[in-house]
Amino acid sequence: MRQLLPFLSFLWVTFLSSCVFPTTASSDYHEQLNLRPLPLSALLASFNFRSNTTFSKFEKGNFRFFPRSLGQILQHAGTRELHLRFSLGRWDAEAWGARPWNGAREGGTGVELWAWLEAETDEEADQKWLTLTNALSGLFCASLNFIDGTRTTRPVVSFQPEGDHAADTDMQLLYGVLPHEVVCTENLTPFLKLLPCKGKAGIATLLDGHKLFDASWQSMAIDIRPICPSGEECVLQIEQTIDMVLDIERSKRPRDNPIPRPLPGDQLPCNTSKHYHSHDTCFPLDHSKEEWTLSQIFGKPVKGTCPLADSTVPPVCLQVPNSRSVFVSKDVAEKKNPDGVSRCFYISPETELELMLPRPDDGASTDILTPETPLLYAERSFTGHGQERGGVQTILRNPSPDAEVEFIYMETLPWFMRIYLHTMEARVAVQASSSNNKDRNSRSDDINKSLIQQVYYRPALDRARGTQLEVRMRVPPASTVFLTYDFEKSILRYTEYPPDANRGFDVAAAVITILSPGEGEGGAEAGAGARAAAAAYNLRTTSLLCSLPTPDFSMPYNVIIFTSTAIALAFGGIFNILVRRFVAADEGPEAGLAVLVGKLKARLRGAAKGVKR
Amino acid sequence: MDGAQVTPGQTAGLYTGAAVLRLAIATLLPALPDLLTGRVEISTPVTSFKRLQEGLFLYNHNVSPYDGGVYHQAPLLLPLFSLLPSFTTLPIFTYLLYIAVDLLSASALWRIADSGEAGSSALFSSPRRTKRWSGFVIAAVFLFNPFTVATCLGRSTSVFTTYAILHAIAKAVSGAPFGAMAALSFASYLSMYPLLLLPPLVLLSYDRQRPERAIRSVAKFAAICTATVAGILAILFQMSYFLTGSWEFLPSTYGVQLTLSDLTPNVGLWWYFFIEMFDSFRSFFLAVFWLHLSSYVGGLTVRIRRQPLVVLTLLLGILAIFKPYPSIGDTALFFALVPLYRHVFPLMRYTFVSAAVILYATCLGPAFYHLWIYAGSGNANFFYAITLVWNLGLSLLVCDLMFAVLRDEWEVERPEMVGKEARQI
Amino acid sequence: MPRLLASALQLRRDPRILKLPPYLSLLCIIVGVAWLFLLPLDQYSRRTYISENALLPGQVHTYFSGSDQNVFRAYKHEVNELVNKSNAEINDKLEPIVKDIGLKTARQNFTYRAAGHTYSGENLYAILQAPRGDATEAIVLVAAWENVKHEVNKNGIPLALTLLRYFKRWSLWSKDIILLITPDSIAGPQAWVDAYHDAHNPSHVASLPLKSGLLQGAIAIDYAQERRFESVHIVYDGVNGQLPNLDLINSIVNIAGGQMGIGVALQEMWRHNNGYSDRLRTMLRGMLKQGLGLASGAHSSFIPYHVDAVTLRPFGEGWQDEMAMGRVIEGSFRSLNNLLEHLHQSFFFYLLMQRERFVSIGTYLPSAMLVAANFTIMAIALWVKSGQPAEDASPNTKSETPSSTAAPPTTAERDLFLPLGVVALIQSLSIIPLYLFNHAPEGFLTPLFFTFAILNTLLPPALSQLLTTLPRSPTSEHQYNLIKSFSLLLLGMFLSTLATLNFSLALITGLLASPLTFLQPYKTPGARIAATVLLKTISPTAVLLAAATYWGTDVASVLKEGAVAWHICGTYSPVVVWCVWWPAWVATGVVVLGGRGNNRRAKAKTT
Repeated sequence: MRQLLPFLSFLWVTFLSSCVFPTTASSDYHEQLNLRPLPLSALLASFNFRSNTTFSKFEKGNFRFFPRSLGQILQHAGTRELHLRFSLGRWDAEAWGARPWNGAREGGTGVELWAWLEAETDEEADQKWLTLTNALSGLFCASLNFIDGTRTTRPVVSFQPEGDHAADTDMQLLYGVLPHEVVCTENLTPFLKLLPCKGKAGIATLLDGHKLFDASWQSMAIDIRPICPSGEECVLQIEQTIDMVLDIERSKRPRDNPIPRPLPGDQLPCNTSKHYHSHDTCFPLDHSKEEWTLSQIFGKPVKGTCPLADSTVPPVCLQVPNSRSVFVSKDVAEKKNPDGVSRCFYISPETELELMLPRPDDGASTDILTPETPLLYAERSFTGHGQERGGVQTILRNPSPDAEVEFIYMETLPWFMRIYLHTMEARVAVQASSSNNKDRNSRSDDINKSLIQQVYYRPALDRARGTQLEVRMRVPPASTVFLTYDFEKSILRYTEYPPDANRGFDVAAAVITILSPGEGEGGAEAGAGARAAAAAYNLRTTSLLCSLPTPDFSMPYNVIIFTSTAIALAFGGIFNILVRRFVAADEGPEAGLAVLVGKLKARLRGAAKGVKR
Repeated sequence: MDGAQVTPGQTAGLYTGAAVLRLAIATLLPALPDLLTGRVEISTPVTSFKRLQEGLFLYNHNVSPYDGGVYHQAPLLLPLFSLLPSFTTLPIFTYLLYIAVDLLSASALWRIADSGEAGSSALFSSPRRTKRWSGFVIAAVFLFNPFTVATCLGRSTSVFTTYAILHAIAKAVSGAPFGAMAALSFASYLSMYPLLLLPPLVLLSYDRQRPERAIRSVAKFAAICTATVAGILAILFQMSYFLTGSWEFLPSTYGVQLTLSDLTPNVGLWWYFFIEMFDSFRSFFLAVFWLHLSSYVGGLTVRIRRQPLVVLTLLLGILAIFKPYPSIGDTALFFALVPLYRHVFPLMRYTFVSAAVILYATCLGPAFYHLWIYAGSGNANFFYAITLVWNLGLSLLVCDLMFAVLRDEWEVERPEMVGKEARQI
Repeated sequence: MPRLLASALQLRRDPRILKLPPYLSLLCIIVGVAWLFLLPLDQYSRRTYISENALLPGQVHTYFSGSDQNVFRAYKHEVNELVNKSNAEINDKLEPIVKDIGLKTARQNFTYRAAGHTYSGENLYAILQAPRGDATEAIVLVAAWENVKHEVNKNGIPLALTLLRYFKRWSLWSKDIILLITPDSIAGPQAWVDAYHDAHNPSHVASLPLKSGLLQGAIAIDYAQERRFESVHIVYDGVNGQLPNLDLINSIVNIAGGQMGIGVALQEMWRHNNGYSDRLRTMLRGMLKQGLGLASGAHSSFIPYHVDAVTLRPFGEGWQDEMAMGRVIEGSFRSLNNLLEHLHQSFFFYLLMQRERFVSIGTYLPSAMLVAANFTIMAIALWVKSGQPAEDASPNTKSETPSSTAAPPTTAERDLFLPLGVVALIQSLSIIPLYLFNHAPEGFLTPLFFTFAILNTLLPPALSQLLTTLPRSPTSEHQYNLIKSFSLLLLGMFLSTLATLNFSLALITGLLASPLTFLQPYKTPGARIAATVLLKTISPTAVLLAAATYWGTDVASVLKEGAVAWHICGTYSPVVVWCVWWPAWVATGVVVLGGRGNNRRAKAKTT
């Protein structure tokens, strides 16, 4: 391995470690990669690319960093602010703690899109929305055009504009989600094409489909918002973010041989303290701290920087305790930040950046940052079985011992899930420890009543629109709340089922927007129109798979024929009796079986005669 | 039992018995009513109690229940039920309401039976009419019919329609045309299809109107009755409009029956047909089905003009088969009226066959539904096949009853033919 | 339609037709049974095939081997140290191991009470989250600490742990993988799967703190044998005779046999020369298991929830080791992982007679239906018969059914109320034995059973006496016919319904009840005595006793099994015995002994 020299310096950089971004219109293009080792040998790599363009240039169609293709779409569809998410996998909050960017840059599984459109009427908004989705689906090779009326909702309180908008413009927020969409390379390529350096230079060179889509969790985000810094001209800011959690062990496997064959017995890390330990018996020590380098993880080092990027912003930052030593390739400047948990690396446009995190000596207790606990844990699952009806149960756990969490829980459900709102209830999980039952029940009852504060509900219309449910609720400190409601699965026309009807239908993730404390009450007082201020934290539950009853797709003709026959039998029978008149059995012409029998007898007699002769 | 005199004690006993039975089941097996409410055989999208609760919830929270795909029932039910204590806290009151409705239906049935209209109408009186069951027996058969009990416990709103129809008939036979028309318009308001019963009901009340203030000309009488129904319906719609603040309840309540936009399975013939129907022909077949349903009214009314009550009975039977959203509640209504024709039972030919078929279907239906929905080992065709059998059994019963009645009429013309073999040509 | 029936109805007039039904129903029974014995022939059974293309069984190379065996040995040491420890201790020891593998773990307590016993324990389960997946679907790997024979699953549990550790290394899983370790093979899995689908009773079974998506399949390892094994035994019967999708069994047969070269056996047929007798034996064993409807392994309780599941049990003396078993399971999981849709293609109703031969429902259902039909035929015949005036059934005076009766309606009019009442009474009586035998503690079962048996023999004569001594007019032959007709009709109806849910149970019950069709009141004392004896011998109690002695157990344990299964798994075989078969038997008894009363009175009149 080539010789690396540890490099130490104490230079003050005006840079805040990740998560918080100054929304000031500074220099025109930034890019930065933040690396954060996580427990269980995982590595969070979050790429961030940000560029601004002034309105005047934008209006003139004079794009420098701002991608022209996207810009024209925005102008055409009258979009003021746009947020687009491609996500895959799930964030393991138990192990990895709080989400990057406080969850502001991620979406539920699949594709999620919400935008503020300039429109006076709903019809106009729908029209522009249609234009927007179709154009974007072309641009990103995603089936965004399937976001039709049944998948579009207009959230009331969950989303707030991030940018600064003039008060007078009347904008409409539309929200669409495609939980079934599988994000893959064909979405990444156009994403990179939007960058000024087109992924040819700078940190974007690390972005490679094989690595990105082998990640345990990944989210690609595009945010476009107008920003008006005081005293300067308003700028339109586009921010592209890619967050991914890589399994170090898995990523280190060579590309040509990804199969996890068992290690040779002697290389297996064993717990030698076990009494039965021997050459052929080995109690494994998993997730042993191992060293990794950028090129092992991403397949290649960072090839210089993007020349267009603002050089004052360090291209790569790593978040490990300052005590830990990191090796970097030569002429790379490392700067530790005074916060003591992060360091950044500066390189010149030509040089390569290779970075190696050696295996920590086992003595070192804090080899990685302990992840901060999120404000809320949420887990959603179906209850019940069978294809007739079911229930949805969301378990919301507030880990903080003293602070209560107030948030907005938003569900967008397809119309064929008929939810029964009157069955919706939130209850605090009662601790068995509590003493006398009656008292406890009474207490838990009035607690339960106060859990749900406001409900914004728009029922689904068959084949026209989906259910939109926004619940503003709070979870008391250090307690777990169950939010449950029932729904009925409706049976569709056989042409309305997808080809894999028996797989079931994906139900979009629930969006949970935690209100920053203090503003919650204000919003509550303000009532229905409550514009609760910027969310403190976002999270999304996993999506669900809802299996509907299916008809037999193979036999429309048989069904039509059988039913018609049944109807014909009844109709014929009834009108037969109605129109015919009665006669005695021996009157009138012979009919029915008797005739046949008579004929038969005659035949036989004749035959018999014939035989006799 | 034949026409025996009934003491008030027995009457009270019957009613209390029926009420106690329902209450006992509801209180001893609290899970059962909800189970029944969930059964597709009992509650259809237009009668389901759970959907009613949802609509009520939305109505009480100032969300229009008709701006959604769940609630398809008449608006006036909402204030009625919001007057009751909420079902979740005090279910007993809801049960009491439903039981009361059942008992009222039974008493209406009783009046119909005692009027003897079934045996001898104004224009015709059967030679066998002496042989009939008393109102007591018929009410008992209705009250203890498992289908009726299940419908009552399932709290399907079809019981209100049932009561309205029975009440209309009772009014008609007791010579109160206006009351009959009012009740009928209520029934039609609640669930549309009873409007098809108008012609025979008009005839019935025409035949039975009091001599002192009778209108001689049929046309005039019919015109008046139709006008009455139209007027009352208009008033009801107006009230609903004021109640919900918009007309959107019309498409959501009656439109769903006309277009069958909700394809939830039931015991009828429509749902699977329109699941499998090609989109281009959907509207055409909807029209055909409705046309077919209304085609019976004319034929029966003309042919069996002399016994309008029979026409009503047969029509109810036919409706229980060919309605868009039938349930066993409608079958129960039909079965409630059939015993009135005790005198023609000997003339029926397939009682055993149709009874066996209906029994088999009752038994196999839930099993096949379970196989399709829960066990997943069967598919939709299982349940569909059973609905076919069920409806064939019912239609066989209807045909048979019609045959018996007609033959009864025929034997009046040709008394020598009594008991002989007869054919139809 | 009515006209068709009308012309068919003409036949009813013909007295010869009325002689036919008994022979007809006898024919039905014979054909039904013969049909069953034809099934194993090549012409009637089919070769199995895989109809779900996504499964691709045996198409993947399996890598479970090498140093994983070292890990397996280590885990096995850990497990061996836990034998004879308490359930909680075991879980305390296993949970950290599972956590180290990197899985999310949780526990669940359950307590069942049945037949005076308490079945309680704690399930330990862990979820391996699909690396790139989203908790929408899951596959379950069950390793019960004890199998149904109460042998400790000494190899199964370490194997399951090692497999999960191995699976964790793969990134290709599209579904979560759940490892479920239960203290026993019946109550534990039942409690877990109930709670997973929220069909549990919270007072007995705790809810699950951790859940994943829809369960797409489950495989249980029952690997108690220590030596190297030869082949794998697939146990596939679910509760109440429900079966997993045939594709699952086929793929495992394909993987084990085709890919690994490991033999596969079914229904404890350790040696199977694909001949007629072996096929027949396999089929009959399968039917018997299905008919009893008991849980046959840790997988059984999954199947009622439409989760296809089997138990794999190595057996025999061979050279296959744990790794081979592991590779079989790896292969099966890879196949299940390929699934795009929930298994729905292949058959759910089938009888396997060899690992590669089966008959589907279309082929075998007729035999059960025929047996059920014989009751219905007889019922109709009796109905028609009861419509005729008792005096003479001679062909010349056309014996009329009431449909077009010449006589005044009162005579040939059927009096339905008494027969209906009797049948209803007997049906409602049947609740008593059901309740008694399902709720009595085990100690009381034996005395209870014998007292019930005695009462049971006395019940029919008592009832018939009651009928004869009714204040109303003496019950006529017609009414006896009607009683029998109704009870047979009900029996036929229940059985044909049951045949669609649990074919074997319907067939067995039908065959046991078939003599009831032919028993009728006899005039001659000898015949009557014979009939009575026969009646007693085919009574449910007698049959239960005989069966118990044949299989070398005592009645109490049989009843206990029934009660336990009823309370834990919801097996409804007891209901069938007590609420379908028993009432029919009692009703027939009443009819057979009923004739006596009339004749006595007749004698008294003459003398």
